[in-house]
Amino acid sequence: MFTLFETPTWFAGFDLVLDTIALIITLIISSYSYKLFKLSSNRKFGYFSLAFALMSLAFLFKLATYTVVYFSTSRALAGATVVAVTGLTGLETVNVSLRDLIYRFGFFVQMASTLGALLLLYLVSQKSRDRLKKFYEVSQITLFTYFVILISIVATFKYTVFYLTSFVLLALIVLNYYQNYLHKKTTNSKRVLTAFICLFLAQLFFVFIFAANWFYFIAEILTLASFAIIAYVYMQVSRKQKPRSVEVKT
Amino acid sequence: MAGGRRSRLELVFDILAAIQNKGGRIKPTHLMYKSNLSHKLLNNYLEELLEKEMVEVHEIQQKKTLSKMIHITDKGLGFVEEFRRMREFTDAFGL
Repeated sequence: MFTLFETPTWFAGFDLVLDTIALIITLIISSYSYKLFKLSSNRKFGYFSLAFALMSLAFLFKLATYTVVYFSTSRALAGATVVAVTGLTGLETVNVSLRDLIYRFGFFVQMASTLGALLLLYLVSQKSRDRLKKFYEVSQITLFTYFVILISIVATFKYTVFYLTSFVLLALIVLNYYQNYLHKKTTNSKRVLTAFICLFLAQLFFVFIFAANWFYFIAEILTLASFAIIAYVYMQVSRKQKPRSVEVKT
Repeated sequence: MAGGRRSRLELVFDILAAIQNKGGRIKPTHLMYKSNLSHKLLNNYLEELLEKEMVEVHEIQQKKTLSKMIHITDKGLGFVEEFRRMREFTDAFGL
């Protein structure tokens, strides 16, 4: 089994199981939001559905990439497929370079779709200007300032840039959900806030994998915890409820 | 509950929820007050709800006069349930 530098040997493969669970949860949330979008024709549900669909895509590519990289059989199969399609000979050589190629391509798709998803979540979780004007403006300025700084340093960093970007986007999303919790004060909004705090902390551990590879394990557990909470909220919301009196809006 | 301008879907929910809260049937005048809609607007929505089979209008004999009673159907109750879930989802995820 091939071991990535940031993955603890004893954990390689188990992370795929955790990511598969996260993939299933994101697919469920995406499809439910899409159902709400079809029911209400409200674009915010469409964006939310798209955000979770992008997360699913990211997990799918991570799973595919890591499966090929971890397991020699999958790697050989992928190499043979490339040789068959491209007509290149020298399977051994192709296999060696293919490992990097697949990893980089998979990581690129994972990165692009995750960042796209987080950006969409950030935008869709924003409140209207009249309600949170000051907060809205401050968070927008923070985001754009961050991207300017990012462009300056992107050349000097590698994978950490991706996790740093996710970290910043999630910090803003957490602030949005904190505002939402203060506004709604419901148990489920508190749970969603907790879920995004877990995801936010996971990015912090991902950033510092270079210091200790067991940070990868903690980050993966936090990611799973985050999606497990989201799944629990979904189950709470979508369960059959007994008919009850409701307050009519005025 | 105070709030901004209600969407079309929210209005439909408020009408159906008002009927549900009165035990599944309500007089048109009461419904008008409960759902905070004008007579004209309520009639427009009721026509649509009748077409979609979410409500039924029954005529009942009260003393010497015939009066109308609006009943919510199973389809209408299903909509109320679905909308309530949607509202909880919206609140939880800050949408």
